[in-house]
Amino acid sequence: MSPFHFDSLVWHWPIAIYLFLAGISAGAICFAVLLKHFKLGKNAYKSSFVRAACLIAPLAVFAGLGILVIDLTKPFDFWKILVFYNPTSVMSIGVAVLLIYQVALFAWLACLFKEPILKWCNNRWPVVDKVLNAFTKWEATITGLLVILALGLGAYTGFLLSALTTFPMLNNPVLPLLFLISGISSGAAGTLLGGVLMKGNPDGKEVHFIHNIEIPLILLELALLFTFFVGLILTGGQSQAAALNAIGEGFWGWIFWGGVVVVGLAMPLAFNLFMTASAKRKFSYVAITASCSLFGVLLLRNFILYTGQMTVA
Amino acid sequence: MKKERRQFIKGACASAFGVACVSGLGIAKSNAHKDKNETNCKYALIHDENKCIGCDACSVACREANDVPDGVSRLEIEREGPFGEYPNQFYRFTRKSCQQCEGKPCVNVCPTGAAYHDPSTGIVSVDEWKCVGCLYCIAACPYQIRFINPVTKAADKCDFCKETRLKEGRQPACVEACPTKALTFGDLKDPHSQVVEVLKATPNYRSKTELGTRPKVFRIASQEGEIKL
Ligand code: SF4
Ligand code: SF4
Ligand code: SF4
Repeated sequence: MSPFHFDSLVWHWPIAIYLFLAGISAGAICFAVLLKHFKLGKNAYKSSFVRAACLIAPLAVFAGLGILVIDLTKPFDFWKILVFYNPTSVMSIGVAVLLIYQVALFAWLACLFKEPILKWCNNRWPVVDKVLNAFTKWEATITGLLVILALGLGAYTGFLLSALTTFPMLNNPVLPLLFLISGISSGAAGTLLGGVLMKGNPDGKEVHFIHNIEIPLILLELALLFTFFVGLILTGGQSQAAALNAIGEGFWGWIFWGGVVVVGLAMPLAFNLFMTASAKRKFSYVAITASCSLFGVLLLRNFILYTGQMTVA
Repeated sequence: MKKERRQFIKGACASAFGVACVSGLGIAKSNAHKDKNETNCKYALIHDENKCIGCDACSVACREANDVPDGVSRLEIEREGPFGEYPNQFYRFTRKSCQQCEGKPCVNVCPTGAAYHDPSTGIVSVDEWKCVGCLYCIAACPYQIRFINPVTKAADKCDFCKETRLKEGRQPACVEACPTKALTFGDLKDPHSQVVEVLKATPNYRSKTELGTRPKVFRIASQEGEIKL
């Protein structure tokens, strides 16, 4: 069986990229919120890391939606997804969540960048002041809503696949959690990489804060991956066949063990522990660790999408 | 006195109104009930794998009747075998087409409602116009029989000839074409229909029912061939 072409394959790599982008957007904005509320406060917008996260979150969502639309067989009819809803369809619910998420995202960004925006406007348009003041009044609500929607978006990338009874490996209750956690860790990695590229201090308090969260996240991800596959193997039948086919010998087996487990999880974990132990963080350490974990998450999405569709119930 | 009368009139009006409402509701209800009864029909198909000779007359007729483009198909006959020694060799034939699931996994996932379940016939269909081609239904169908029609770019599959033969008051094209009468089509809700009679008289099976699909394509298992574990 060729790793990229087989009879039961329906969704190709663009969907994996879409899932990756939705996850990284949700993760990045979660870290922007956390950094603002626990570390930086009012001056959060000055931090390169927060800025990186605030760039990644909307851009990733737009790019993801763009890919999703181009990938339709009738891209010009995409508006029908926005007009017609089906409450039993995970995709339909996901599109609704994505839309509200974007509204909350921009409202929150407006609160975050209130000062620079107002400075730039220089009282030219009183409406802007009014709107921003209204947003600030509701900031707590907007933040809460945004975090809930971001978590929903992250989980949705998993539910989209786990709703498919056709494929026993995808139709798995652990998948949404796995994608949520790996999406959040990709958000952390994206924030760190973007932050240091935008001249953020690689030994700054933001980096320390994110690294402290990243270590438990990686451990949790490993535990979820373990549960995911052991669960499938113990279920027997086609679930077992699917799992063994995926992580056994072959192209995707190499991707899983070498790419997802070693490069994507074990190496970032080792680097993180090393950086926590040794005193100073350097640009290269932070950048390489983050790149490894981003790469790992992208491979994980492709790995699950392709191997998941190989075995039919 | 006046006051009493007024109250009486009020009361009478109120009760009249009440009665009108109740009876109106009742009529509406019974009408709805009647409507439901009239259209309470669930089409089903039986493929007798003993009678089938794998001649493909059904799939050819389907392509013609429903204008199915080359390269895709709504109906295929899959063969397995040969079993046994020459000259006593046997093949097994199974029908690969939409199973018309009552559990309708394809309808449940469709974001626009383009994949739908027609309440008056029980047939699962696709609204070509509403379909955006997201492929979700194709992935969700456990029988893997949906495809994108290269002409319309919409999802497509067997609909028991709902838009073609059934509209002409005929049987589905495959059923009419079969030379050995291996296919039986009819209404499951009609206790005297041929499908119900055959299903009651003959042991039959359906594919992948463990996934909660509740298919309306029934199969009568081939007696020939080998016993598989
Ligand atoms: S067989 Fe597939 S396309 Fe047909 S009703 Fe069932 S899930 Fe839908
Ligand atoms: S491909 Fe068309 S019919 Fe199928 S789920 Fe998408 S919109 Fe619905
Ligand atoms: S036409 Fe009848 S006998 Fe021929 S392949 Fe189809 S079902 Fe079988």
